[in-house]
Amino acid sequence: MARMKFICDTERCIECNGCVTACKNDNEVPWGVNRRRVVTVNDGIIGQEKSISVACMHCSDAPCMAVCPVDCFYRTDEGVVLHDKDICIGCGYCSLACPFGAPQFLSQGAFGTRSKMDKCTFCSGGPEENGSVAEFEKYGRNRLAEGKLPLCAEMCSTKALIGGDSDVISGIFNQRVTNREKNGKYPGSKPFGWTTAYGGPDAPAPTPTPAAKIPGAN
Amino acid sequence: MNVNFKTLSLCFAAAALLVACSEPPEIAPKAAKRPDVAPYMGANNGFMTKGWAPGNQTSWTESIDKRNQGQNENSRVK
Repeated sequence: MARMKFICDTERCIECNGCVTACKNDNEVPWGVNRRRVVTVNDGIIGQEKSISVACMHCSDAPCMAVCPVDCFYRTDEGVVLHDKDICIGCGYCSLACPFGAPQFLSQGAFGTRSKMDKCTFCSGGPEENGSVAEFEKYGRNRLAEGKLPLCAEMCSTKALIGGDSDVISGIFNQRVTNREKNGKYPGSKPFGWTTAYGGPDAPAPTPTPAAKIPGAN
Repeated sequence: MNVNFKTLSLCFAAAALLVACSEPPEIAPKAAKRPDVAPYMGANNGFMTKGWAPGNQTSWTESIDKRNQGQNENSRVK
């Protein structure tokens, strides 16, 4: 098993927000928190409008893990970045560090208080018992332990959003790019996959740099 | 007797003043990370898919890879 990843094909995403709704409903995510959202650029410009579904990208060298002062993050053997809500103090550092805005906080409390952090778990729960009520209440569904893939990707109507083993999904995307080129769309475009970006499938995921080894960090 | 009482009182007062120095630290121990159970161990909630054996990583991986290909319409329509 390599690394679990999402990929969103901007040529296919139609901004239906089905992935957002599915995630919210299946995981019973509270009002005010969106684990997944759809971002559109060049909105309304014919031929240039592109949409992409964004959530936690489960980075191989996750900045949220590096900055967490209480070290509540961990990475599973499948490459999924998860966190322990019993350790999280809701400081929000991860939210500042994340380039995708994945960490979410409820901010409905008095005096601007924040809840503990909530984010996409790649539908693989948390440190509670797999499939238990406690796990569901804190982290949502654990579909990986049920032999399924994240619901947002599995229910995507145009299959713009695909998720799973990085080698498999980059293979699927590779095939699409090749077909597009063959059909005359984007001539000369070359397929791009995780093996290009992060090395071969057997390359170990890099470990985050401890703060103690960063010059000037305390 | 008076001297002894004075000495005792001073000792008692000094001990009372120094009590704060002997207080145990009130720093909460660092919360320990709990180990997570691998997904191939399965979930005991009745929503598991069929075709793989919980606890068998290879069968889980094969099942997930097969499901992964369900997202590939190029292989589904053939």
